[in-house]
Amino acid sequence: MTIDIPFIWVAFKEIIRALPITLILTTIPLLVGFFIGVIVALVRVYKVKMLYRVANGYVSFFRGTPIIMHIMLIYFGFPLFIDQISAKFDLGIQSNSIPIILFVLTALSLAAGAYLSEIIRSGMISVSTGQMEAAYSVGMNKFQAMIRIILPQALAQSIPNFTNIIIGFLHTSSIAFLVSQKELTGAANIVASTNLKFLEAFIAAGFIYWGLTILVEGLSFLLERKATAYNRGGVS
Amino acid sequence: MGKAFDPMLIIEFIPTLIHYLGVTLQILVVSILLGLIIGIAAAAIPRLFKIPILNQLVILYVSFIRGTPILIQLFLVFYGLPAVLMFVNIDISRMEAIYFVIVTYAISNGAGFAEIFRGAIRAVDLGQTEAAYSVGMTSSQNFFRIVLPQAIRIAFPNMANSVIGSLKDTSLAFTIGVMDMMGRGDTLIASTAHALEVYISLSVIYYVIVILLEKLFRLSEKHFNRHLTVDVALAG
Repeated sequence: MTIDIPFIWVAFKEIIRALPITLILTTIPLLVGFFIGVIVALVRVYKVKMLYRVANGYVSFFRGTPIIMHIMLIYFGFPLFIDQISAKFDLGIQSNSIPIILFVLTALSLAAGAYLSEIIRSGMISVSTGQMEAAYSVGMNKFQAMIRIILPQALAQSIPNFTNIIIGFLHTSSIAFLVSQKELTGAANIVASTNLKFLEAFIAAGFIYWGLTILVEGLSFLLERKATAYNRGGVS
Repeated sequence: MGKAFDPMLIIEFIPTLIHYLGVTLQILVVSILLGLIIGIAAAAIPRLFKIPILNQLVILYVSFIRGTPILIQLFLVFYGLPAVLMFVNIDISRMEAIYFVIVTYAISNGAGFAEIFRGAIRAVDLGQTEAAYSVGMTSSQNFFRIVLPQAIRIAFPNMANSVIGSLKDTSLAFTIGVMDMMGRGDTLIASTAHALEVYISLSVIYYVIVILLEKLFRLSEKHFNRHLTVDVALAG
């Protein structure tokens, strides 16, 4: 077994065609998860009765179990659930007509929601209460103060954490290959097993992920400089 | 397939799966210990001995590990290590899969710890080093006796997160054929066709271990920081 270096380039060109699916599996869960995260964080910060316990349990469970479990639980659990509901109400929906990617997206979105809510929550706590009081003093209501004053600052402070989550979920999307999704890792696996050149294919896939990560890190660095510009130097 | 969901099986599967917890913990503990050695070495050596290029190599190593999914790293080691060792005429193609997993996770944890320690070493007050030199310590005495113990305390919360993350990552070891809890779960699914129940049992086990680890780390953190409250009391 020797390493066939030219084949890495061949594999690279083949594997990169799966990039859109990896990007879908990364961005959609993060967007959906962001909305879940904001709501869950608000519920937890303001200790909304009853919901607060549900939110705590949700975050704790999803952060306490591997993401592959979430994917598998939904991949095997949802079809059972949907078929039962469908049989009961005679809806005529069959679970095997639902594309697998939807199950993966659901699982990853729920996981992303739990991780993002923690980040948003810590961002919210880090914005001083003086900011809220100042917003009230100029006549804003709680909602206005939240949207215009607290959230923008909380988000700006959380950029490094968001970057970590984005990179984390970019990498996590590779697990989707275990439920036969043809994203980067899945494509690499196909290229590897059809040509029997495993090492070369995974080296190519590794370079693609590495490049994407460096790109995300660079963008976030620029964004962070812009978003926290208000908070640099000057009189404190 | 087609069998109905049976909640009793969840309880029935747990003892069978727990039997394989040892393998999971073995991977975790060995790879964390090796990772600590790699991490401290990678963070400290370029700082202690100013060898050119070494610092760049460490940066490249950390960037690559941070830039690729653990699954890709696992495949790279699994297919790459035998190929590399073949050059020096060592045949490890019959080595058990668990060693590849441990090597991968040690390399991966090492990069994580290197990042954490780099930050923590920088966070130790420079006055401490000056004080150590003033009493005649050498640079390595200063590092091991003064800076490192304080850096470990600072790094501890991040290390704890890293260990928990690593435990969750071990759930991917079964992809190269390791018989840990996930691997055993796979064979249970093959023999009983009750995938959902198996994954629920596995989630329960992982969740309980994560919660126990979190408790343990919180207690140890309190123990490490026990002198700090005294400091504040004296200062006040």
